[in-house]
Amino acid sequence: MAKRVESAVAAACPGCAAAQEGRALFCAQCGRIQPPPGCDYFTVFGLRPHLNLDAAALEREFHGLSRRLHPDRFIRAGAQEKEWSLADTALVNDAYRTLKDPLRRTEYVLKLSGTWGGPGKEKTPADLLEEVFELNMEVDEARAAKQAGKDERAQRTGLEAARARVAEMVEGLDRELRAQWPAWDAGAEDTRRSAERAMALLVERRRYLSNLVREVDEILGE
Amino acid sequence: MRAGAAGLAVWPRWRPVHDNGELKSGETTMAYSEKVVDHYNNPRNVGTLDKNSAEVGTGLVGAPECGDVMRLQIRVNAETQVIEEAKFKTFGCGSAIASSSLATEWIQGRTIDDALSIKNTDIVKELSLPPVKIHCSVLAEDAIRAAIGDWRKKNGAE
Repeated sequence: MAKRVESAVAAACPGCAAAQEGRALFCAQCGRIQPPPGCDYFTVFGLRPHLNLDAAALEREFHGLSRRLHPDRFIRAGAQEKEWSLADTALVNDAYRTLKDPLRRTEYVLKLSGTWGGPGKEKTPADLLEEVFELNMEVDEARAAKQAGKDERAQRTGLEAARARVAEMVEGLDRELRAQWPAWDAGAEDTRRSAERAMALLVERRRYLSNLVREVDEILGE
Repeated sequence: MRAGAAGLAVWPRWRPVHDNGELKSGETTMAYSEKVVDHYNNPRNVGTLDKNSAEVGTGLVGAPECGDVMRLQIRVNAETQVIEEAKFKTFGCGSAIASSSLATEWIQGRTIDDALSIKNTDIVKELSLPPVKIHCSVLAEDAIRAAIGDWRKKNGAE
């Protein structure tokens, strides 16, 4: 599970008693550290939830927060503040890793909205399963032939061709995903929802196919 | 863990990953239970039945989170309603392979109604699956249901 740090949302800053909204790591009034807020990853960095994310802004905010959370700054802090600084650091690192990567960012957004992932979601479409199963079978046969010691070179070429084909499909899916980003970023509620549904299908398809690419890579590396 | 000769038809895919796709560090050596290892090295009933046969029901299911795909097929005696033969083929991690292998073993010789009473929790218990692998047993239960559903549809029962 993408661990969300349980927030012990402080109603008020222990330092200056200013009310906290659970959206920031530091008190806006006195700058004192707060427990991990229960907000989404974008808000951790003070960014608007956007798929077409400003990478430079993310980088800047990440480095800024990392500096403020540096252990050197908490050497003389109390036990609780030390603990919060560690928990906040874990949150910032998770958030940064998730948002930095376009695919993870997209998957994260879909999970937040409940469109994808988690139990009780819609079943994988039958035609996608058929296709993935067939591709797996092809690769499996090539693998068996390779292990049976048949013409190694020919098998390798066959596997490489299969890999290239599936990798191309994955790239195509990435392009389709990106094509949905503007609708999600700027769209009205219903446009956003339909973009989410479209992206959920693409992400799911991509999971199966990228697994397949990894499998082929493993066989080729053997 | 390497597949034995009988394991050619199935692949290892044991990658403990967070749901953001990141490999969990330090957990790559997470131990399988002995029963999982046994089913993995000697999978029972790997194979294919003729999916066009009226006697055969096919269940093809997948787990989007991890990309595993499982096909389970049954040959049913229409008169006795007994599953006379069961075959599977799974592309996935060791737990998914073991779950489907065990499922075929359990349903062979049972009536379809009886087979439907098998719960994923039975599989979890038998194989001592860890919480992160429970979805593999769910997949196996889904596959049994899908195969029986397909057979019933073919035979006009549903």
